[in-house]
This record gives sequence, C-alpha cells and structure tokens, in this order.
Amino acid sequence: MPRRPRLHPGTRLFLVYAAVSLVPVTLLGLALIHGYQERGQAHAREQGLAEAQVIEQMAVAPALRGADLSVGLTPHQRSYLQSSTDLALFNGSVTSLQVLDFEGQVAFSDDGGSTSQVAVDDPGFQTALAGGTDLRISGRSVRVLQPVFPETSGQAVGVLEVYLPYSDILAKVQEETRTAVPRMLAGLLALYTVLAMISFLTTRALTRYAVEHERQALHDSLTGLPNRELFRRVASRALTRSARLGHRPGGALVVVDLDHFKEVNDTLGHHAGDELLQVVAQRLSDSLRSDDTVARLGGDEFGIILPSRDRADTVALLCEVRRALSEPVPVSGRILSVEASFGVCFFPDDADTVEGLLQHADAAMYQGKHGPQGVVVYEPGGSTPQVDALVLQGELRRALDHEQFVLLYQPKIDLATGRVTGVEALVRWQHPERGLLAPAEFLPVVERSELIVSLTRWVLGRALADLVAWTAVGHDWTVSVNVSAKNLASLSFAEEVIDLLDRSGVSPSRLCLEVTESAIAFDLETTAEVIAALSASGIAMALDDFGVGYTAISQLRALAMDEIKIDRLFITGLAELEQDRAIVGSVIDLAHSLGCTVTAEGVESAEVATWLGQAGCDHAQGYLWLRPVPWPVLAAYDQSGSALRTGQTHEHRPREVPA
Amino acid sequence: MITQHSSAWTRIAPGLALLGILGVLASCAAVPEKAVAADETAAVGRYDQALHDLLPADIRERGLLRVGTDASYAPMSTFGPDGRTIVGSEPDLGRALGEVLGVDVEFVHRDFMRILPEVRDGSLDLGMSAMTDTRERERKVDFVTYFSAGTAVLVQHGNPEGISGLRDLCGKKVAVEDGTTQVDLLARAQSHCAATIRVRRFATNSDALLQLRTGRVAAALNDLPPAVYLVSDPRTAAQFQFATTTQYEPGLYGVAVAKNRPGLREAVQAGLSRLVDSGVYAEVLSRWKIQEGAVGQVTVNSGR
Repeated sequence: MPRRPRLHPGTRLFLVYAAVSLVPVTLLGLALIHGYQERGQAHAREQGLAEAQVIEQMAVAPALRGADLSVGLTPHQRSYLQSSTDLALFNGSVTSLQVLDFEGQVAFSDDGGSTSQVAVDDPGFQTALAGGTDLRISGRSVRVLQPVFPETSGQAVGVLEVYLPYSDILAKVQEETRTAVPRMLAGLLALYTVLAMISFLTTRALTRYAVEHERQALHDSLTGLPNRELFRRVASRALTRSARLGHRPGGALVVVDLDHFKEVNDTLGHHAGDELLQVVAQRLSDSLRSDDTVARLGGDEFGIILPSRDRADTVALLCEVRRALSEPVPVSGRILSVEASFGVCFFPDDADTVEGLLQHADAAMYQGKHGPQGVVVYEPGGSTPQVDALVLQGELRRALDHEQFVLLYQPKIDLATGRVTGVEALVRWQHPERGLLAPAEFLPVVERSELIVSLTRWVLGRALADLVAWTAVGHDWTVSVNVSAKNLASLSFAEEVIDLLDRSGVSPSRLCLEVTESAIAFDLETTAEVIAALSASGIAMALDDFGVGYTAISQLRALAMDEIKIDRLFITGLAELEQDRAIVGSVIDLAHSLGCTVTAEGVESAEVATWLGQAGCDHAQGYLWLRPVPWPVLAAYDQSGSALRTGQTHEHRPREVPA
Repeated sequence: MITQHSSAWTRIAPGLALLGILGVLASCAAVPEKAVAADETAAVGRYDQALHDLLPADIRERGLLRVGTDASYAPMSTFGPDGRTIVGSEPDLGRALGEVLGVDVEFVHRDFMRILPEVRDGSLDLGMSAMTDTRERERKVDFVTYFSAGTAVLVQHGNPEGISGLRDLCGKKVAVEDGTTQVDLLARAQSHCAATIRVRRFATNSDALLQLRTGRVAAALNDLPPAVYLVSDPRTAAQFQFATTTQYEPGLYGVAVAKNRPGLREAVQAGLSRLVDSGVYAEVLSRWKIQEGAVGQVTVNSGR
C-alpha cells in the first residue's frame, strides 16, 4: 500500500486555525495602517487649511482692503501684497500664490504671470465662490482655494489660490507612520502569537482527548491491550489483506483462555485476578512480534492474531508463549502458576469471517482444555460437535439433582502381590439422550464452574457408600477420589471431607484424594494448607499425572504427599524408550526417598508391568488388568483372580480425566 | 378619572385602537401642516397689481428695486458666508416687499454715509440700513418707518474701563459708525461732560467694533438689536458686553426714499403695511429674533 506522509489531524486543525486567524489579524493590520495614512492625510489637510487661513488673514487680506479686483489692483495694493508675501515665497514656506477675481481672472500672481492653474468650473473654485475652502493634495504640494475677506464686514473681494509645500507635512506624516506602524505590527504579531498559542493548546488538548477517547473505546483499561472490538477490526483487516494477497501467506487467529482463573478471583480476590491478568497480558505481548496483535477479549480470555505465518511456525511460537506464561507469577504475596489453553485456527483456510474464525478457535481452545497439549489446532469437520458450555452447565445441574452420575472403579494392583489393594473412582454421566458420557465431554465445563464443588461432594459420598458396601462383602480396598484445584482452594474442604468420613463411619486411612500437579501449582500455599489438614486427619494424598504438569520439585517438598502417580505418558512407551525408563526409575527413587509410594498409570502390557515391578514401583493401574467397571464387577474379578482378564477389551481407550 | 379608568377596563382595548388611529391621523396631518407653514414663509407676500402700478415708470420698466445697505449690521444686514450675498432681516423684508410690488429687489453694499446721497441722486432706489428716521434726515429724504430701536453702549468683555452709562464716556475714546444717529447722540451727550468724549467714526459698524475688540476705544455705540446679536452670538459673546441695560433715545428705522420719486414712497408704505397685516413682517422679525422692535403700523416721516 503506497503511503503518503500525512499530517496529524491535530496539527492540521492547528494549521487551519492559524491560517484562519491570520485573516482577521491581517485585516486588522491593514485597517490600522489605512487609519494611520488617513489620519496623516487629515493632519496634512488641517495643517494646510490652518496655514492658508493665516496667510489669507495676515498677508493677503490686509493688502486688499477696499480693492475691486474686477478693475485690478492699485500699485499700492500690489506692492503691499508683494512685500507681505515675498519672504514666505522666498523661504519656500509658500510654493506659489495667486489672487483671482470672481470670474477666475488672475489679479495677482507671485511670479507676475497672468494665467491661473484653476479653471472657473473647477469644483474647488466654485466652493471658494460659495464661501468655502477647498484643499487638494497633488504631487508634492497642497493647493488651497478660499475667498479673501479684507473687510471686517465679511465682504469678500476675490479668491486666494495658494500652494503650500507638501513634502514637509508628508515627511512628518511618514515619520509618524514609520514609528507607529512597527509598534502596531509588533502588537499584532503578539496578538497573533497569543491566538496561535491558544489554538495550539486547544487543538492539542482536543486531539489528546480524542486520541485518549478512541484508545479507551478500543482498549481494555486493565491491561492496556486492544479490546474485543479492536481485535475484530484487526482480524477483519488481516483477513481482507490475506484475501487480497492470495492464500499463501495467511495467518492465524488464536483464542487463549486461562485455566483456573476463576479460582484466583474467588480465593484471592479480584485485585489478585487483575494483577494476574496484567502479568499475562504483559507476557503475551512480550513473546510476540510487533506485527502480531494481542487483545483481551473479556474475562480471562485473550485473542492473538498472527499474520503471515505458516502452521508449523505458529504452533511452535504458541508453545513457546504457553511456556512463557507458565513461569511462576508472584501475585498478592503468593506464587501462582498460570496455565492456558490455546485454540488456533488459520485464515483464510478455516473461515473467511472473523466470527467464523473466533468460533473455530474457541472450539479448538475447549478441546485444549480437555487435552494435555494446551495448544490445539482447529481441524475442519473435526471430532465431536461442540456442545455449548452454558447448555451443558444447565444439563449438569439437572444431572446432579437427578443422580444421573455413576461411579466406575479401576483397580490399583499391588505389583508385588498382583492383588487389588485399592480402587480409583471414576465418574460417568448417564445422559438421558446421549448415553453414558466420558468425563472429557463434561468435566472441563464442570471444572470451570462452581458445579465442581457439588460434583466432588457427590462423588465422595457415593464412593464412601460403595466402600462401606464392598467392605461388608469382605473387600478391604481403599478408594481414591480425584479432587480439583477449586476444592483445594477452599480451607473448608478438609472439614467437609472429614465430616463425610465420620458420617459414613469409614476410617480416613481408607480414603485417598488425588490431586493433579496443575491444581497444586495454581495456588501452592492454600493448597498446601488444605492438603496438610487432610493429611493430618489420616487421609492419604496422591499426586496425580506426575510428570506432565509443571510441579517444581521444591513444591513436592512442601506437600504432605503419600503417593505419586506417574503419568501414562511415560508408561506407555516404557518398553521402547530408554529415556522413559530412566525417568520413571528416577521418579520411583525420588518418591521413595520422599517417603511416598509410587503408582504407575496406564499400564497396558505385562512386559511393562514386569519392568515396573523390577524397578520398585509399588502399584499400577491400567487396562492390562481392568478398565473402569462398577464395583460389583470388580469384586467378582478380585475373587476370581484373573477371571475377567481374558475378557479385557482392546478398544481404543479414551484418556481418563481425573474426577 | 380613576374610577372611570378602573371601571372601564373593557374599553381600554378599543381606546388603544382609537389612540392608534388618532396617532396615524396626527402623523398624516403633520405633513400638510408643515408644508403650509413652509409655503407661507416662501410666499413672502402676495403680488398686488394696484401697488405695482403705484411704482414710478422706470422702476416698473426695469422690474428691479436697488436697495442700498451697510452690510455690517447683523442681524439687520450682513454678508453671508460667501462674502458677497447680503443676508439679514432687512434683505428678507425687502424681498417680501418686492413680491408684493411685483419687482425684483437687489441689495447692494454701501458705506452708511453714502446711502442717502445715492438715494437722492437716483443711484439707489431705496436705502434700508437700520437708519433712524430723524427730522434732520427728513429734510433730505422721506422715511417709511418699519422698526423701533434705541442705542446700546457696548464695552469689551469684563468692562475693563468700568463704564456703566453714557456719562462714563466723558474723556474716553468711543467708536461709532459714521453718519449714524449715534454720532448725534454723542454730540448731545458731550454737553454733560467736563472732559471731551473722543469720538472715533468709521465707515462701517464692523470697523467700529474692531476698534473696541482690539482695545483702541473704550466703548462703541450700536443699535440695540445688533448689540444683542453681538453679545449672544457665540463667536463674539466672549469679546463684548453691555455697559448698561439702558436703551438710549429709542427711534424708528425708516426706508429712505427720494422725495422726487412720486409713487415710490406710497408703494413702499402700502407694501410694508400689507406685510405687517399679513404677518409676513412678524414672521421675518421673529426669524431674526428681533420681534421686540416690531412696529404696529407703517408711517411716513415720524422722526423727532
């Protein structure tokens, strides 16, 4: 796009003001100069009239007493007139002097001539005939025509035509103008400067106000990032540009949502939430190029536009951004760890409207909430149709009320004995229309809402009731229940659990609560406090999904953990990957040295189970033994040893999300 | 009135309307009224064939009356701003007289002393120059009287010589216009003086006043109307004042007519009488603010 250097609107407005105010100032200046000249002329006229009158009364009229010009002057009158005017003529005080009769004939002339420069029909001469005085400025002299009144009675005898030097008067007027005009110009300049300054300050203030107003309208006041509106505009522009340039460069639209942000707000207050959002905004901005756009779309949701990047680059960049985000953040005196889900879609491939792009990126982001990757790329015609989160929440509420949830149990095998020592409770939703739903389909929504508290309470109650039931039929299995970060963020949670145990009459030692690394990392201090309280009451605590979260080893030290569960990510490839074996071995040693038992998740082959047993791993879970089932089925399995083992299905198993 | 007003509220609106109509009528009427007044001023007198026929044949032939006046006696007779036109109450009366007699009237400037001789030798048809009708003058010409005035004593503003009447003029220099009754008045006053009044006579009244203005004389004698004009005109009020409120030897101004012009005197008398009767005379006098000197009837040779 060709760019012309353009003036800032404020500057342009100021220049217009300056130009416009120059007009009246210039006009004023011209009027004043004109006034000076007029006054100079008037001054010259007055002076000329006064001089002519004095000349008439003191030099001319006395000489013409009793004269009758129609018959001419007497020799006495002539010589009288000459002697009374000679000196003034000689000295140049009077340039020239004539006396005319009423017919315009010359009766006396200073140079002895007999022709007048004045015609009878000259308006000036007519004025003098009527008793008036006429003054004209021509060239370098002033001509005055006026009647001569020699008699006290006021009788006129003729007309005096006198020429006075104008150069002296002119010089005086010019001198006055010379001194006055620069002063006036300086004044006008000062006036103009003041006007210009006022308009400059006004336009600047107005412009700033306008810019600020525009900025406020299009920016988020908390983070200073563009808001949803500006984000839409930028996205729309990027879309248009990519459409114009063809498909090749394209770009990405990303929706970022923070995990567990609501808990921060709820437990630490809005101030902490705001602080966290500011840090996130800063980090997002810092890790992107200047061409990229980061916006706050609302709440804990951010949007990113990455123009002109290919897919691989984009995903690599976003993974890096996600890593940068997860650096611990000190907020309100606590150290928080932020995790975020990134939903990515590409334009112009995925959609050709901003709305469409946002929907796709949102869908991908929600998938990311369920998965371990964090960064999810939208796939057209992809897996599950997205159910609206709000609809789902409503259904979930009803589900809780109508007991639509069921618990399945997966056994925990003692690797040394091969016996079932405990079970992990896993929640399923018996949806009235969609059938039995895996946790992935509803848990992310539950975890983002307050429903998680109720659901956890229900799961705990159900699990304890089941435990009482299987104890009655002779099984001594412990039960593991997954709790979420939100549960651990509340100090009353420990009391609630202990109360449940009391009421069901179950020994606390038979209950194990599993927490994920990310739940701990989110607010270590409160979580540690809650965990300590639970642990103190005899409840076993297990750290779930160890290895894929971001738990610092130092944080392990601070937590009263009894068990560490190694994530399936390391277990699945154990047989093939030397590195995984090294890691798992080290974790087992680490756990043991911290006084914890170790459970391996996702064991699917006997080979792996054997290796784990040799490595000192205490327990294992996995499809090798049993997929999650209702506890009576499990009871039958336990009693029959490996009775159900042959009936084990090899269906593609979805990943269990801890409940 | 009050009860009438308060009980007649309903009549106020029509009343206002009536006022409005009256106002319109009044403003309509005002214009013709003014126009009539202007016409009267312009139509100075109505031409009278009989009076015209009284005029001597040469005057009727010429259609012009030449009137001599000393144009240095404002407001009776003076030069206008152009220094050539003669204006004043006398030219106005003369012009009105001309209208009645059906002839043009020309006022020409003459020194006061030259007027009677020129009237007598026929150079001038009439003399009209604030000239008092006296027995002595009646011997030379006939007078048709038209105004009454006495003599006032003028001094410099502030009265530096402390003059309070004719008696104080003894031993002082006094300026008068040559040939006037003031010359005779001073001659008569001389008899009461131990020291001689040094009378300075000048061709025009203005010259006499110039002497007083420049301090070369202690007082000047003027007829009352021009003296009043002098002390009230802003241009001269700062220079002159009355020595006394006394008006000396009141007399009648007369139009000088040669005794050998049969019919002329009768025509002038009849014409002036017609002006007095028609109000033109009073209008002219009040225009020049000298109505105090108006006469009730026009007489011939009433000098004392």
